[in-house]
Amino acid sequence: MSGFSGCPGSKMVEFQTSETSEEAVGIKAPSQLRQWPIQLHLVSPEAPYFKGADVLLAADCAPFAMGNFHNDFLKGKSLAIACPKLDGGQDAYVEKIRALFDEAQINTLTVVIMQVPCCRGLLSLAVQALQKSRRKVPIRYVVAGLQGDVLQDGWVEE
Amino acid sequence: MEKFLRTPIKEMIGRFPEVGRILDEYGIGCVPCSVGTCLLTDIVEIHNLSADAERGLFGKIAAVLFPRQAVPLPETKRSRPAGPRKIVYSPPVKRLVDEHKLILRFVALVPEIARTFDAASEEHRRLILDAVDFIRSYADRFHHAKEEDILFGYFDPGLDILNVMHEDHRRGRGYVKDLLDALDRGDREGVVANLAGYAALLTEHIKKEDEILYPWMDRNLSTHKVGEMFSRFQEVDGRFEEARRKYEEYVVGIEGKYKAVAEVAR
Repeated sequence: MSGFSGCPGSKMVEFQTSETSEEAVGIKAPSQLRQWPIQLHLVSPEAPYFKGADVLLAADCAPFAMGNFHNDFLKGKSLAIACPKLDGGQDAYVEKIRALFDEAQINTLTVVIMQVPCCRGLLSLAVQALQKSRRKVPIRYVVAGLQGDVLQDGWVEE
Repeated sequence: MEKFLRTPIKEMIGRFPEVGRILDEYGIGCVPCSVGTCLLTDIVEIHNLSADAERGLFGKIAAVLFPRQAVPLPETKRSRPAGPRKIVYSPPVKRLVDEHKLILRFVALVPEIARTFDAASEEHRRLILDAVDFIRSYADRFHHAKEEDILFGYFDPGLDILNVMHEDHRRGRGYVKDLLDALDRGDREGVVANLAGYAALLTEHIKKEDEILYPWMDRNLSTHKVGEMFSRFQEVDGRFEEARRKYEEYVVGIEGKYKAVAEVAR
């Protein structure tokens, strides 16, 4: 027994930091972000950078956990971020994602979430939006471990 | 070792039959392939073995090619780590796999169609023409057209594995042509032989695609290309929607007919 019986999403964990080579520290990776704003309540599905785009919907915590998030996931995509546990007004999220499918006619949606159970809610919002949408769009999902390793990478079944 | 890695697999197995047995041990079924132009190095990459399995495979092949010699083994290189063997298809590729399921339901009836075929019966002649219509319109024009015109277009056309698939499609068309010629001559044996040849070819061809080719293609398609391909498939599916429904109903219909025939025969 660990003595912790609450939500795994709030469980305190301290990671051992691994040795990082000086060369790796010295590399300045360019940002792959190509728009502003990025928070899902703030973005507009009518924005030109969503038209026909590959869109990344990331859980707030994911970019901090994944060391190479910009190159591995953000590159070439338009972005929205949200937290399915703490954010209010999630009905508006479903409607906004539906508008991305129907009005912005996005090419794909990639949902990056953390392994903690509450984060599954973000993928669930995307699936609900797809069910309400007139268009079908492939949804890819990536589940990240607490230290950024990819635990699952797959596609939502039609 | 490098020279052997770049040798067509049929030539390799011809010179070293033991290599075929070793590949089979690792679930790589190249021995019955009628084309065999794929290079050993490409075949191993396409099958996405775990790093340990890949080293084991190369070690055993090296022992056959260079008995009692220590040779350096090729480095394991892979676009993504080999995960659990459960295959997860992207949505457009999953549609092709679902179409295979309908084709396999038809193929499963072929032995019964062949067994009961009477060359003198106009009704049986009609049944064969309907089967040819399904093969040509659904399996070839609709399904293979999506594969050849869209999916394969995302890959280098010179790839050996694609040549093997194109050759399978050509052989399938050859069986159908010979089947119709045999039907015109009233040649029962010719009809039965070509039906059986087509069924065997398609069974092996679909297994290769579902288990090896499609997973490899999915690993090498970007998310953007998956989305683009999905839209293009939607467009084709929309155009063929009525025909798709018709051929799904056709398979349900002959399943009912031949299951009843099989039960009476028992």
